[in-house]
Amino acid sequence: MNPKEVETGRRIASSRSGGWQPKVRPSTKMSDNAESPNEPQKEELHSPPEESMANEEKKKIDVLLKAVGDTPIMKTKKWAVDRSRTVQSLSQFISRFLKLDANEQLFIYVNQSFAPSPDQEVGVLFDCFGSDSKLVLHYCKSQAWG
Amino acid sequence: MSACLLGEESFRQCCWRFLKLSDRLRDGWSWEPLQGSEEGYMRKTALRSVSVNSGPTWNPHGSRSDKESPASCHCVCRQREQAAATEQADVDGTHDDLDPGYDDGVVSGGGSRVLRLEYHILYSCSYMAPVLYFRASTLEGRSLSLDQVWSCVHPSFRSRLQRSPLTTITQQEHPLLGQPFFMLHPCKTEEFMRPVLQLEREQHGQMNYILTWLSAVGPLVGLDVPLKYSTLQPPASPPEACLQPS
Repeated sequence: MNPKEVETGRRIASSRSGGWQPKVRPSTKMSDNAESPNEPQKEELHSPPEESMANEEKKKIDVLLKAVGDTPIMKTKKWAVDRSRTVQSLSQFISRFLKLDANEQLFIYVNQSFAPSPDQEVGVLFDCFGSDSKLVLHYCKSQAWG
Repeated sequence: MSACLLGEESFRQCCWRFLKLSDRLRDGWSWEPLQGSEEGYMRKTALRSVSVNSGPTWNPHGSRSDKESPASCHCVCRQREQAAATEQADVDGTHDDLDPGYDDGVVSGGGSRVLRLEYHILYSCSYMAPVLYFRASTLEGRSLSLDQVWSCVHPSFRSRLQRSPLTTITQQEHPLLGQPFFMLHPCKTEEFMRPVLQLEREQHGQMNYILTWLSAVGPLVGLDVPLKYSTLQPPASPPEACLQPS
């Protein structure tokens, strides 16, 4: 490929709105304001070396959220989550993201059938159940207990 | 629909498998048989240190009351729960919102005391589901009231439970012992178990109903179900004698 084509390619890519993101952008981090991110997820996992090191220091792990039953599916399924984040915090995030009612209960399962303690850190779950460099968590909504 | 209900024989088999794991983890669960029958229930006793404050009593209907009553307890069984709430933040500086439950009626200070929590898992024929019974007492043997028991509920569940307390945690006579226990009502069990059972079926997994159920309801009643239950290799099938048509 000659340099001119590459140059053209880059210009075209950067003129698209929102469809392509440079690989230097860090993974979508999970914050608590529950706003949908605009960026797609795939590219953000391949961060350049200096970003990888930053990720290492920040100790984030990749979490893939899968809906169970007729629970709404999250538009963004893959998240970079701080290792020290608790299951409870994640549950609150998902509940707000999905705009669940106050009387609806969200369950999170690891390994498809075990509900980890609300205080469990996702980093530990990743160490135990992570595969392909990500932790798969299933989430399920139900009417509250009463 | 019927596949999401637990037959009595399946209950026993799941308990058997669960108890094998509990033995390996030394988690303290045991099987209490009924005299001369295969029926029985699972049981565990745990000691839990709670801090006692002399602040307002936690009212199960969601509002604080300053009435004079026994000091309410705040369960600090996992002290990290508070630490996590106050210190957790994304590394870029955004703070997680604190769960409102953490702010409710918790006043630090005062002493701490040890509670004895006893958990029983029975089978309900009417609901075709396991039912969790529990009671709490001080080491001197004084039973705790429902008010005080609320403090053992994980903060993330408290506000929801308190909106509909009577249909969730109620005081009942233990069907086998005839003593007052608190019970987690099983009416919603089938409903919240159904999706995960269906998922497991689709994926041809080998879940243990009791383990899945207990891990989900445990935090409601201050019961810790260690992660290791899910990482250990499941035990082999129970002996042939147990495998009778339900």
